[in-house]
Amino acid sequence: MTEWLPVYLERLVDFTPRLLESLWETGIMLFFAMIAAVLLGLPVGTLLYMTADGRPMANRLANRILNVLVNAIRSFPFLLLVIAMQPFIRQVYGRATGDPIAASFPMVVIAIALYARFVEQSLMEVPKGITETAQSMGATNRQLVFKFLYVEARSSLVIGFTTAVISFVSYSTIMGVVGGGGIGDFAIRFGYQRFETDIMYTAIVLIILLVELFQWLGLKLARKLDKR
Amino acid sequence: MIELRDITKTFSSRQENLLALNAVDLSIDTGEAFGVIGESGAGKSTLLRMVNMLERPDSGTVKVDQTDLTTLSKKELRQEQKQIGMVFQQFNLLNNLTVADNVKLPLTLHDYADPLTLDDVLAFVGLSDKKHSYPQELSGGQKQRVGIARALITRPKLLLCDEPTSALDQNTTEEVVAVLKKAHQEFKMTIVVVTHELPVVKSLCNRAALMEAGEIRQIVKINRSSSEKTIKPYLDRAREVLADD
Repeated sequence: MTEWLPVYLERLVDFTPRLLESLWETGIMLFFAMIAAVLLGLPVGTLLYMTADGRPMANRLANRILNVLVNAIRSFPFLLLVIAMQPFIRQVYGRATGDPIAASFPMVVIAIALYARFVEQSLMEVPKGITETAQSMGATNRQLVFKFLYVEARSSLVIGFTTAVISFVSYSTIMGVVGGGGIGDFAIRFGYQRFETDIMYTAIVLIILLVELFQWLGLKLARKLDKR
Repeated sequence: MIELRDITKTFSSRQENLLALNAVDLSIDTGEAFGVIGESGAGKSTLLRMVNMLERPDSGTVKVDQTDLTTLSKKELRQEQKQIGMVFQQFNLLNNLTVADNVKLPLTLHDYADPLTLDDVLAFVGLSDKKHSYPQELSGGQKQRVGIARALITRPKLLLCDEPTSALDQNTTEEVVAVLKKAHQEFKMTIVVVTHELPVVKSLCNRAALMEAGEIRQIVKINRSSSEKTIKPYLDRAREVLADD
């Protein structure tokens, strides 16, 4: 009954270098996506919030443009977004296929749009009275955002980030089509296409563990930050 | 100190236009404790929010110390707002900050020449022992005293109170009124209190405007001598009211 185990372990040892390499590629793609989410998604989401009607920086045109952009990116089927971006990536990076950094470009774009929406939602949960309080104290918009809104929304911002990162893991599994590699690509190429089902499930279990880890870390941090 | 002239404000929604303030004139002297009384929807909160420009009038002028706030640039307005403290019905504390950080918050936004110290202002409102607590751990009355401490730490020349006791029960109300009264005596700032609770105005204010349907109907001088009643504990008062026939 246990005869399959040594066989499986042997194959696992054979595949481990490839497996680690693809985890590293996933790591690269997630890294760029996470950086983009924080450095660009957070400001874009904040602008979405601040420029809406009745808010401190109300500006119908700017709000409309941001909304259309974010919606367009998010409704683009991701595979087509990857393909549509190929010429652009080739222009700025020199090559569009065969490496995880080139594959990170579409990840960055979706990361900004996705996290911007989460940020907007988090800020909407902050009671309106907090904005009024800031304004009554003569706070600038920058002070309102950093000293009031982000402070009150911080655990929600972390939970949104966690959910976003888990989506990034999912998006990254597609990048095999342009040779970006990654753990999802590994599962498809070695497991599915070569009928190495055990290796495929090993990779899938690894992805599940990765998601579990992010979720656990995110919730733990959010709970620690939440004093409400 | 405060001169409101011919203030009109309409709130428009898709269904209707609501005339919140109709050609309101009001003068409040420096150092006065002034009440604004009225039922909900009378326009009293809107009136108060004109004084620090949380709401802009459709027409009319809002002068605080001779400066017409309606004509200021955003930057100039912030310089005026920093000298005006405000206390809110729902306290509006930042729940993720400690009491100490909440109270110090205004000092992180602007430079103040001569602010109170954190310890002094917490002692003043009787919350020295709650310095490191989070708002969630406090009672309603304690939260409002934090709100008052946050307004007082900058030594405002003007303190606006928007229904400061309406979220509190009666005993806590008296506790908060006592702190406001003490603040008025000690720091001599001008206070404007909006409330529908008559006893609050009676024990705190020198004059009060009675509002109805967006207009000031009357301004009354408050006769204080009869208002110095003793504060009874809640159960005593409950017994009195319920057993009364």
